[in-house]
This record gives sequence, C-alpha cells and structure tokens, in this order.
Amino acid sequence: MKKLLVFLLAIVLLIPLYSYAQEAAPATANKSFVVYTEKRAPENHYIPSGWMGDVGDIKMNDQAMDNPHSGTTCIQFTYSAKKTQGLGWAGAYWQNPANNWGTKKGGFDLTGMTKLTFWARGAKGGEVIQKFNVGGIKGTYPDTAVVELGPIELTDSWKEYTINLVGKDLSYISGGFGWVATSDSNPQGATFFLDDIKFEADPNMKPLGKQTQKMPFYVYADRGSMSNHFIASGWMGDYGDVKFDGSNSENPYLGDTCIKFTYTAKGAQGARWAGIYWQNPANNWATVDAGFDLSKATKLTFWARGAKGGERIEEFKMGGIMGEFSDSDSAGIGPVILNKDWTQYAIDLSGKDLSYVIGGFCWASNADVNPEGAIFYLDEIKYE
Amino acid sequence: MSLLGTLLRGFKNRPLLTWFSAALILSLFFLFLANKGNPKVYIQKLRNGHYRLMVQQRPYLVKGVCYSPIPIGKNHEYDWWSDPSKPWLVDGELMQKMGINTIRLYQAHENAQAVRTVIRDLYQRYGIRTILGHWLGFWEYPCPLYADKSFQERIKKEILEMVSLYKDEPGLLLWILGNENNYTCMGQLNPWPSEEVDKEADPAKQRMLRAKIYYSFVNDIARDIHRIDKNHPVALGNGELVGLDIASTVCPDIDLVACIIYRGKTFGNIFKYLKATFDKPILLSEFGADAYDAYLQKEDQNMQAFFLESQWRHIYENTANNKKGAGNCIGGTMFEWNDEWWKHNESDPSTWDIHDTGSNWSNGSYYFDIQVKDNKNMNEEWFGLVALSQDLENGLNKRSPRKAYYVVREFWKNSTAGAKKQ
Repeated sequence: MKKLLVFLLAIVLLIPLYSYAQEAAPATANKSFVVYTEKRAPENHYIPSGWMGDVGDIKMNDQAMDNPHSGTTCIQFTYSAKKTQGLGWAGAYWQNPANNWGTKKGGFDLTGMTKLTFWARGAKGGEVIQKFNVGGIKGTYPDTAVVELGPIELTDSWKEYTINLVGKDLSYISGGFGWVATSDSNPQGATFFLDDIKFEADPNMKPLGKQTQKMPFYVYADRGSMSNHFIASGWMGDYGDVKFDGSNSENPYLGDTCIKFTYTAKGAQGARWAGIYWQNPANNWATVDAGFDLSKATKLTFWARGAKGGERIEEFKMGGIMGEFSDSDSAGIGPVILNKDWTQYAIDLSGKDLSYVIGGFCWASNADVNPEGAIFYLDEIKYE
Repeated sequence: MSLLGTLLRGFKNRPLLTWFSAALILSLFFLFLANKGNPKVYIQKLRNGHYRLMVQQRPYLVKGVCYSPIPIGKNHEYDWWSDPSKPWLVDGELMQKMGINTIRLYQAHENAQAVRTVIRDLYQRYGIRTILGHWLGFWEYPCPLYADKSFQERIKKEILEMVSLYKDEPGLLLWILGNENNYTCMGQLNPWPSEEVDKEADPAKQRMLRAKIYYSFVNDIARDIHRIDKNHPVALGNGELVGLDIASTVCPDIDLVACIIYRGKTFGNIFKYLKATFDKPILLSEFGADAYDAYLQKEDQNMQAFFLESQWRHIYENTANNKKGAGNCIGGTMFEWNDEWWKHNESDPSTWDIHDTGSNWSNGSYYFDIQVKDNKNMNEEWFGLVALSQDLENGLNKRSPRKAYYVVREFWKNSTAGAKKQ
C-alpha cells in the first residue's frame, strides 16, 4: 500500500513537471523547425491562414503537384493583381494557430534558430515578390521580431532563399512566414510556388551587417521597378486630402511612369497640412530595424513639376524619422515653388550621416500656401 | 640679499637642488605670465581641433539644468526671485548632491539685487555657476521685429545693461543670446516682416535673407558684449542646427552655439554636422525627457532616466579628447530641474494647481509612449528631475527627486569626459 502511495505521489508530482518542461522547452531543441514541407505533414507548424490586402486576388493550392521541389506536393499561389479590395497589394501569413493576428497566445519560441530557408519558383519567371518575412504580427501577443527579405524576382526554376535571423529575438513567433506582392510590380498578376519552408539552427550563419549601398540608389525609378527601395507608405497630416498614383503615364520624365499627387487641401483630418514619407519597410516609423546604409551618397536628386506651375511644397527631405530605430540624419530643401515643366532638384547631403536611412524621401505642404490644393508629379528620385 | 644673489650662492653650494628650485620658480613665473591675459571663462581650441570650456584655467564640463522654480498654482510670471522661502537654496543643496555644477536661467528678472542674490547664493554655498540668457524679444507681441532698427537697438540696450549688471559676478559662467528664435526666420514661429525680404518671391531665399538679418543682429550684440565683458563667452541660442550654415557666414563674434535638441536616445549627427558647417563648440542648452507615459497614462520614471542617461553618454562621447566623437561638446543643461504645473494649459489659471497629464506635442524619438492617440506623447508638465508635491516644506512645494536624478548622478560619478574626470 505504502509503495502504491509513493508511486502515485511521484506520478502526481512528475506530471506537472513534465508538462512544464514541454511548455518551456524552446522549439530549438531540434536543428530545424518546419513551417511547411508537404500537405498534411505532421511536422508542419504553421498554417497559411493569414491572407492580407486584396484577399480576393489570391488563390492557393496547398497540394500542387506541378513539379514540387521535394516530396509530392508544394504550395501554389496565384495573385491576380485585380485589386479586388482596391489596395494594390496582397499577401499571406503562415500563422499559429490559424487566423491568429496576435489576438491569442500561440506561436513558438524559436530561440537558437539562425535562418529560415525556403524554395521558390515562378510559373514564368520574372514574378516580383515585394517581400518575404518572418514574424511581424502585432496585437496583444505580438511577435518579438520581424525580418524581411526582398523584393525578389523569381526564376522559372526552383531556387533556395535564406532569411538571416542571427541576433534576432525569436522567443515568440506566431507569424512563421509570409509574403507580399504588389500589383505595381506584377500588373499582369503572378503565379508562384513555394516549398520546404523551415527554420534552421545553422551555427555558421553570421550576423547580417548593413552593406553600404552602391550609387545611384533609387527611391523611385518607375512603376514596379526592382530598383524602387522605399515605399510611399508614411502618410501624414490630412492624409485624406492626398491621392497617390504611383503609375501615372501622362508625361513621365523618364521611363513609362511617374508619380502623381493630388492634394485637395480640404483638411480632412483637421491638420491643414499633409505629407508622405517613402519608408523601408512600408509603415516603418522607426519601429523596425531596417533601412539602408547610403553613406556613399552626396546628394539626393529628383524631378518634379506642377500641373499648372506655382504649386508650393514646403519641404522635400530625406531622413528625419525618429523612434527606436531613428534615421541617422536628415536633410531637406524648401519651400519649393514648382514649375510647369520638369525641373530637377537636389538635396545636398555633404556632412550628413547616411549610415542608417529608413525614410528615403518625403514631401510636405499645407493648405495655407495651397488654398486651392495642388497637383504635382515626381520622377527619378535617387541618391547619387 | 637679493633673490639673484641667493640663487647664485645656492648654485655654488647645492647645485642640483638649487637648479631644480630655479626651474620651478621660472616655470611658475612663465605660467603666471601665460595666464595673466586669459579671461576667467573662455573657450579653448585644442591642437586636435577639439574644444573645451575653461574656467579659471581648468577644463569645465557643464553638468547643468534649466532652472525655473515656479511653485504649484503659479505660472511663469511668478517672481520666484523674491520668494521669501528662497527656493534656490533648497534646490541648490539638492543639485550639489547630484553633481550639478551649472544652472541655466532663460532671462534675468528686472530686480537686479534679487538676481545677484540668486547667483551668489548658488555659487558661494554650492559652487553652482549660472548661465544667463535673454529672449531677444522672442515673445513680444505681435512678433519680434528683427528687421527693425529701433527694435534691435532696444533689445541690444537691454542685453548690454544685463551684461554690465552681472559680468563681475564670480558665479557667472556665460551668456546665451536667444533660445530658438531662429525658427522665426523659417516661418515656423512668430514670423516677422521685412520690406527687403518680402520683395523676394522665392520663399527659400526669403528664409535665407531673414536668417542673415537675424544672425547679423545677434552677432552685433555679441561683439558689443565682448567690448564690455572680456571674461565670459557668448553663445548663440538656436533651435536644432537650423540656420547655422547661414550663421557661419555672419557670426564671427559668437564663441559657441547653445542648441535645443529633443531627439530621444541620442543627439544624432549634430556634433559632426556642426563641425562641418559652423565649427564652434556646442552646449546642449535644452534637452531631456518627460517622466509620464502618455500611452499607459501613468508616471514612468524609468523612461525619463533611460533617455537622460543615454543622452549624457552621447554628450560625453563628444567632449574634447574623446576619440569616439567630434570633440566639440562642452556639456549640457537638462530640461528641467522641477516640474512646472502651469505649462499644459497656460491660459487657464484654474489648471495651474493640477498636474496635467495632457500633451500638446508629439515626438517619435521618445518612442515608449508614441502609440498614444494622435501621437501626442510629450507631457510638458513632467520634465522635472524633481517632482513637486502640494505638501509644503519650509514654505516650498516639497521636492522629490525622480529616478533620473539618481541615475544621472551615478553616471557622472562613474564616467569620464574626454581625458580627465571632472
């Protein structure tokens, strides 16, 4: 009887201890941690449930048998770029549990993993994926890291890609993997395939230092150009007064398209001013460690014109986004009164610290100096 | 017997000791000659291009604080200089314990005797020196008329009177002309008219012309101050580094710049950029962080302490002889010593005895609470290193040092600026 009691007591004590050990053990007890390998594979840890943007533009076949990289299936995405929800972009997250946008506890502790690898190919080649990413889900239970790779132009044969995770806090990742594509970069849509997505603990991975970028370095070259490095995502002030057309073909300075802004100056948000930052990545208000080292640049040039001439832009600038990961400096010109014809402007960057730039370009103006609003065009925005 | 005779005789009997004594005497003599012409406070440019502030022949790092001891229930018009409870005595003792060696006063009160008393008390009792400033008419209605000669003359007269009154105070450190008056040239604050400028159609050129007028005016004042006071440097007060490229062309008589910078963890690239555009030493004359988390709606002393320690680290990195930085920073005066309860809603006296948690401005550099609605995260009434309480002690609102007080104190104790611990 005594022996039985001791046995039961041991069981009672050991069960919670075992459960605790199961809960606390990081997923990195193994050397790899699978996001997806095969339809219904037991080692898959995330579900491609988090569709974003123009979700009506996405079709998924998670058991495509058309030339998988390994096994018998891969995942096929077809992005139509029809802007079903009017956004011009779409994407998908692999989540844990399914449909978890940071509203419930889930995810995994991936501490110790140093990279995420995956294989990808386009149906034709040339499909542009704006970014692939790990983490970045916000909400009540936010991911502890966000790491991005892109833009990437896919080839028509399988190719392996790696997202470097060295030094990142991976203690809670509910958004294991994701991709985003835009209609600007894929006006005819894109069909692409993904396979063998997994985290790996590779001791040979080195921290990814920021590389000094070669010049010229474009903020905006042309619609959907792979050279575009920043996104016009940082809308400020009366953002409801601004219309953005990133693929205007009326009279571009160079290439097929330019950017057209229509600023109505109606004071939609009551600020009486408006402006837009080109950021890396999109919507990065210095909350994400990203951006570029543009130390080789001596000036930022761009071409601009007003629809009528006489439109006044209070400031054109670069840098100056402040937050946890602030731009290392800022520089600007203005006020600038635009001409009707294309005119090139330059922002002098001598003496500036350009080692960390997340706000690649910006303009701001206000209703006082443009009471009737302003329509203006920008093109060929680049660091030189 | 003459000194020379004694020396000669000594040479004969005790050559080594006497030669040593002679060398010592001669060294002291030359040192005396070298220092005789030096003012009490001056800027020294080192061979490596770095700058330091010298006070009585010794390097001096400004470990300062902006000082405006307005009690709860009063606003900036309150005459604290004549307060019988003498707040500067209580504060001076606390400051001394923290390691503060300088206060910054934005402008002296019209009661000269009261001002002298404050400067003397702080210096004689606690060794704390005073930076005296002048607003240069920044707050005048409808705007400061910097292009108007009679306005210029009036302001200059006021300042020269101030200099004459206090230049011989042993506790005086330096003068600061203006605060962020340069923004009036950019059309951002209190814009002022000028017939010459208003003719110019290009708004960018307008700014440049205004800046030239303004900075030339400040330089005139600096030049005249130097004529009557050779013992104290003159600083150009400036908001950020805006306009200093213009100042560099018209301000030869300015000794240093005193900049207001609110950039969160560090001051960014300002030290190097200043070196490249206007090679003068810099005093961070207003910087800091508030101690209220606007997002979580509660006091957060850790947040303030975190920013202030990080800012002081960046200051130290940029002092003379520190290889990490530009070597042009002579210290800073934190904003501010105590909370001021009138500031959030200054036009409504009924709020002056309420510690308002509202905010009127946003700054993403202070990112802990930037998620608050409309991003208004800067809580103007919570910048104090010491909090005030409505409880009175010796006729004054009780002072309670915040965590930043202790963190900065320890940082100063344990850190060295440039080559020497100060």
